[in-house]
Amino acid sequence: MDTTLLVQMLLGALLALSVYLPLTCGQLSLATPGFYAIGGTLAALLSTKVPALAGAADPAGGAYPLGSVLLEMLLAALLCGVLADGIGRVVLRLQGIYLTIATIALVEILRVVSLNLEITGGAVGIFAIPQPFADPAGYALFAGALLALVCWLCQRLAVSRPGLAMAAIRDDAIAAASSGIPIEGWKRLAFVLSALVAAVTGVVAAHFLNAWNPRLGNFDASITTLAFVVFGGSRTWVGPVVGGLALTALPELLRPVGDLRLIVFGLVILLGPALFPQGLVTPERLSAVAARLPEPLQRRLGFRLSPAEALDPEVRP
Amino acid sequence: MEPALQFLINGLSTGAVYGLFALGYTLVFSVLGVFNFAHGAVFTLGAYLTYLLVGGAVGANGLLAGLQLPFALPFWAALPAAGLLTALVSLAVEATAFRPLRRHRAEPLLYLITSLGAGVILVNLLQLLLGAEGYSLPTTALGALPITLTIAGAQLRSVQLVLLVVAALVLVVLSLWLEGSRSGKALQAVSEDATTARLLGIDSDAMIRLGFAMSGFLAGIAGGLVGLSLSISGPYFGISYGLKALGVLVLGGMGSVSGAVLAGLIVGSAEALVPSEWSGYRDAIAYAFLFGVLLLRPQGLLGRAQSTKV
Amino acid sequence: MNVGQGCAAETVVRVAGSTLVAALLAACGSRPQTGGAGGNGALPVGAVIALTGNASVIGQDQRIGLELARAQFAAGSPQLDLRIEDGGSDEATATNAFRSLIRADVVALIGPSLSQQAFAVDPIADRAGIPVLGPSNTATGIPQIGPFVSRVSAPVSQVAPLSIGAALRQNPDIRRVAVFYAQDDAYSTAESKIFQKVLAGRNLKPVAVQKTSVSDTDFQNQITDTLRRSPDLIVISALPSDGGNLVRQLRELGFKGTLVAGNGMNSPNIYPICQRFCDGLLIAQAYSPEADTPSNRAFLAAYAKAHGGGVPPQFSAQAFAAYQVVAEALRSLQASRPAGTTLAALPRAELRRQLNAALLKGTYQTPLGEIRFTPEGEVVQKNFYVAQVRMNRDGRSGRFQLLPTPAAL
Repeated sequence: MDTTLLVQMLLGALLALSVYLPLTCGQLSLATPGFYAIGGTLAALLSTKVPALAGAADPAGGAYPLGSVLLEMLLAALLCGVLADGIGRVVLRLQGIYLTIATIALVEILRVVSLNLEITGGAVGIFAIPQPFADPAGYALFAGALLALVCWLCQRLAVSRPGLAMAAIRDDAIAAASSGIPIEGWKRLAFVLSALVAAVTGVVAAHFLNAWNPRLGNFDASITTLAFVVFGGSRTWVGPVVGGLALTALPELLRPVGDLRLIVFGLVILLGPALFPQGLVTPERLSAVAARLPEPLQRRLGFRLSPAEALDPEVRP
Repeated sequence: MEPALQFLINGLSTGAVYGLFALGYTLVFSVLGVFNFAHGAVFTLGAYLTYLLVGGAVGANGLLAGLQLPFALPFWAALPAAGLLTALVSLAVEATAFRPLRRHRAEPLLYLITSLGAGVILVNLLQLLLGAEGYSLPTTALGALPITLTIAGAQLRSVQLVLLVVAALVLVVLSLWLEGSRSGKALQAVSEDATTARLLGIDSDAMIRLGFAMSGFLAGIAGGLVGLSLSISGPYFGISYGLKALGVLVLGGMGSVSGAVLAGLIVGSAEALVPSEWSGYRDAIAYAFLFGVLLLRPQGLLGRAQSTKV
Repeated sequence: MNVGQGCAAETVVRVAGSTLVAALLAACGSRPQTGGAGGNGALPVGAVIALTGNASVIGQDQRIGLELARAQFAAGSPQLDLRIEDGGSDEATATNAFRSLIRADVVALIGPSLSQQAFAVDPIADRAGIPVLGPSNTATGIPQIGPFVSRVSAPVSQVAPLSIGAALRQNPDIRRVAVFYAQDDAYSTAESKIFQKVLAGRNLKPVAVQKTSVSDTDFQNQITDTLRRSPDLIVISALPSDGGNLVRQLRELGFKGTLVAGNGMNSPNIYPICQRFCDGLLIAQAYSPEADTPSNRAFLAAYAKAHGGGVPPQFSAQAFAAYQVVAEALRSLQASRPAGTTLAALPRAELRRQLNAALLKGTYQTPLGEIRFTPEGEVVQKNFYVAQVRMNRDGRSGRFQLLPTPAAL
């Protein structure tokens, strides 16, 4: 397995989780590429234009300080969090497909504006971005750790009060509202969390890709990440991770097929869903797998894979 | 007066294409409640088919290099012929990408993925078979019509006028059919509520197929018209239309034929009015406009306000 | 529907499908590392070109050039093994293609197709110490990416100004100029900056600067707006598809003045799009099929033989030249080694270093004319050309008629 592909797969899984988070409240938001772009642009600008962050001598040799990367992630997260909160107040009133299209519109506006600005470099973009790791293996570890962290957060969220509230909103927003759940607040939280994940992923991606340009956060990217989530299964966080890993790898694995590569890829996503109508990973399949784990392991992991099970006193260890 | 007329015609002809394209989306959306992401690919296919049917030759790069049909139809015949062929392809898409999922009661979002897969296959097949280069319909395709017409001081390309006329015809016929005929009304019934329609004896499956066939026909002739008026710039040229048309669709109100048309005209004309200093921001302005409409009137200009029953 | 039977059959299909996917993944992991030379001692040379996506029209021309070059340099020592990978039209696919070829231990890389991709992927080859030669990257700043990065495609700053000169020579009364460029493409943006600088140097300030997109096909609004300001000359930086459309619509909407197009439109691929309206278009070229050099004549003959006639596009000629440079540099390395030793026996990293040095020092007679390199990797091309498109009566085919170019501009 080529490490570069592994890094791309991990980043794909992270973006899939970012699209998944608003979906837990039943909202299909495609704003992820926009926040990803903001994160990436911020990292690109800071690392190339602010010498104080560069620290040691040769940035291309992998000596860009990890601390600076973490700082960029923090700043990107703050910026996107604030933006998402503000945008969320305006946009999350919309329902269903209208919300989706509104987020698509916002991403496109962002893309066109950054194409026109001098500071982002226009079409050429910003390149020669300093590298914190000399080797893709470093990125793989870093992205892997980030993914593990986000997965853990998603799992905690799923069994927490906010997570259960979000599941209720997804099932039936009106019923949830009548039960006194503050749906506006929870929807906004999901949206903000989604923006945070996208932003930090953008920071990592900017360093990994060496160069950043406005085309990297566009409509095609939103559709691809949506495919990760839906193909993998949108009812549990494991689904988008599996979908992200698998569908990022697939076009590359098909290279030996030659000129028919993308046609075969199209066939897979055309026929695959018929075999897995609820996505690859569903809560039922996960429970079935978890149930087969040895007892002590189940208890140790404290696994709660679906909110429903969390409420069942029989299942708790 | 002259620049205004020019802008108007430009806007109308651009908008007519968006409208036709959005109509195809509407037809599928109204009967199935989902978007057909293969629509852009079918549109592209329609353009290529029209090109082949008027006697165009394929370049040297695909597997079918040098292909040229032994006959050449006049444009007026090639266009509907291409439309019929794309209708068939659209039915095939329905059979492979949509029906199996319906049978399994799949997650609604999965339709996006399967139709995307169908679209990817179509576009890449086109590239494999016909190569990636661009084509234009021969400038003589319209026979005796002059290339440029001058009306009231405005320079118009006659293909723009042709586009307008054909699009208008199609839209009028379609609206009449939807309102006036039995199957048209049945289609509307299925879009309202498929279960009730079935209970009333309407074959929903057949109506869905009809919707797809018509959507494919519309996409095909829209593609042929664009191929005539602009050109076929490669197998991927339908994709950017898809995104704009989505905006047009929402602006006009989903499920509304006249809404799609009106929105297309508005978007087309609005693009015309952006001054050249701001030309880089054209798309951003169009999307900002769409965003504004969504916030103020989410059901679009002519759509019905969606109210959910509790 | 018989649910019982359906479920069983489905499960079988599901298991089969998942097994297939798992097998594919496993196969990926255990793909044999073809280290060192190929089976017969041939040295692997990698090429990454855009075979899918929006830029595939460029990649397919480049593939033709590479195949012709491979055939031309097949005889002789050392033996070369050309491996072509699809770089797609985006950075991620190109990155994976580069990586895949680096793992196959290539001695040199040719590619990628787009300047945009080059900024992202060339550093990878540079860090790995592999010479990478750009066949069609013309944006500013590419050879400066690293010591192993070079290109055979002349930068826009050298080629573009020539066409403005030619336009002004043909029509000295030009006063009003308009500029169109595709703002979402790195090459078009870079070239247009050069065009505008040249125009400013001639005291011609544009009456309109229109920004378009490479995926645009409908320019009527922007054309109408521009024509209202009565330009005498319009300068376009775009790729063949969008540029061809723009030219056609400009002429159809009544523009009678001079049209200058940038190097990206230097391709017969514009003929099917603007047809007889392509006539009269002025283009500065890094390659002219009408240049009369022995190397070009041989290239033309090979192309005609492989394609049943026809004239090679610039992208094919540049790809051919790239392969030629690599092949000839390797041959000169081989010749300078003591008899009986092969280059394949050298440690790969050392071979690549030597190849890079030899490559940059050489002079090559290619279809592009005589080329050599600056120590930084920038190409120094002896001849540039300005051509005017002349379409045949049927409007389907034409030629880029070479105009006599004055000595310097």
